[in-house]
Amino acid sequence: MRGWWPIFKRELLSYYVTPLAWVVMTSFLVLQGMHFYVLVAQLAAQGSQGADAGPVQSFFGGTVLLYLPLLFVCPVLTMRLFAEERRSGTIEALLTTPVHVLGVVLGKYLAVLVAYVVMWLPTVLYMALVARHGDVQWPVVGAGYLGMFAVGAGYLAVGTMTSALTRSQLAAAITSAMAIIGLFMLGIGAFILPDGPGRELCAYVSVWGQMNDFSRGIIDTRRLVLDATLVVVPLFITVRAVESWRAP
Amino acid sequence: MIEVEKLSKYYGSLAAVRDVSFRVGSGQVVGFLGPNGAGKSTTLRVLAGFVGASSGRVRIGGHDIEDERLEALGNIGYMPETAPLYVEMRVTEQLRFRAELKGVGRPGGRKAIAKEVSRVIERATIADVADVPISELSKGYRQRVALADALLGSPPLLILDEPSAGLDPNQIREVRSLIRDLGGEQTVLISSHILPEIEATCSEVVVIDQGTLVAMGTIADIRREQAPVAIRLVLSGVVEAALVAIEEHEVVENCTVAEGPHTQLVVQLKSEMVNDVGGATAKLVACCVATGALVREASPEAPSLEDVFSRLTRSEGERMEGGP
Repeated sequence: MRGWWPIFKRELLSYYVTPLAWVVMTSFLVLQGMHFYVLVAQLAAQGSQGADAGPVQSFFGGTVLLYLPLLFVCPVLTMRLFAEERRSGTIEALLTTPVHVLGVVLGKYLAVLVAYVVMWLPTVLYMALVARHGDVQWPVVGAGYLGMFAVGAGYLAVGTMTSALTRSQLAAAITSAMAIIGLFMLGIGAFILPDGPGRELCAYVSVWGQMNDFSRGIIDTRRLVLDATLVVVPLFITVRAVESWRAP
Repeated sequence: MIEVEKLSKYYGSLAAVRDVSFRVGSGQVVGFLGPNGAGKSTTLRVLAGFVGASSGRVRIGGHDIEDERLEALGNIGYMPETAPLYVEMRVTEQLRFRAELKGVGRPGGRKAIAKEVSRVIERATIADVADVPISELSKGYRQRVALADALLGSPPLLILDEPSAGLDPNQIREVRSLIRDLGGEQTVLISSHILPEIEATCSEVVVIDQGTLVAMGTIADIRREQAPVAIRLVLSGVVEAALVAIEEHEVVENCTVAEGPHTQLVVQLKSEMVNDVGGATAKLVACCVATGALVREASPEAPSLEDVFSRLTRSEGERMEGGP
């Protein structure tokens, strides 16, 4: 793990001194703001009340608008992690210091994970807004955010992995977007396949299904195990990929 | 400090380095010479732990670069050829980050890091750009920031790949002076194909060509060994017969004559005379004397380092065709 802390700090700093993070964050918040506004306006028009079917549950589990932007935001956040270091040659200076490869990978991954969490933070204001005008079950809000954190953590790990597999940021972003969209599409199978193991598998990996549960405050540990697997396996591959650059 | 045993590095079927072995002792400043594409940077990358060797062993400060990687890397300050830096950072930020990575602050924390960063900034003479973003620096300044980076933590071994590339003459002089000062307290392995730089800073050289080691030792020894055995003769009196006799002499490859107050000849000896320059000189002097010429001076022509380098790094084919 040696070396992860300075790498984490540098990566996090580099997000906010380049325009990329601000552009991504602004676009994401504009989309989520519109999403929240449309939901609230619709619920107000229906006169719907109650926490279960209210704006919180609808925000986290009612539409794909919550996590659809993630299919593009996560690849953009992760594309530069290793690809840029390889393109600019700084990877040579980095890997010739006495640091563990695992420390390098974790430092970078944790930085992008924190940037992702920071991106979501302003949306807590939406919940505060709802709380001013009605009851909010904060544990349900917490479960919703936990769901988005777990899903995002997996997507970011996939993006970290693809960034280590190519020198081109664009290729890294496209590859991870394709992988994440593939995972997302797999979940659609839960709606179209007949009953059986195939459908069950698709339902298990479905982000839709996961967020439907979490938005109602149901924390299904099977889903968390899947998300943890989606973090650990890509990061393991990333470590091996970085180690392979100095293969004999 | 550096022990390299039968190091080879292949990229697919292409051999970048083949069976290279050498040792560098503590406190030495050693030049790593070779033409472009000879395998210098690849060798240095293996020594710095960035590239794995296909075969052979590398030990840095007694630690195997594969088996005790972190311990070995802890002994090295490496400056890659491209001087890679994080352009979005300021100079002090970059150096602070690198100092932390290298564990400079342990123990001592921030104060120790700040002190070390100030020290290397002063040594690399970059105090005037300490708070400037690296993206705004010239190539020369970037080169010196990379050098300062390598100096962080005073590692026992500095590996510098083309450290003066892109510097102006004044900066080159400063860098050479810095490297000379480092010798004794730190071991320095410096790669370059700028021969005056090597001559000005290094006591010993390792020369590689086409991935293989072709010479190793002090510059003076290599010069002596690789000297193209040329002799300078200064004749006076009746020299015509002597000139004919010398040109036809069995030990002579060719001979150039310069007129002046006295007749001056540079006599290139045949390659087989490499190990008997003294004997050949005696024969030529005797030959001149026998024809009645006066020999005012007979001395071996000292080749420049360029001559030696050129001789060492010509391909086998060229060597066969071109002779000495």
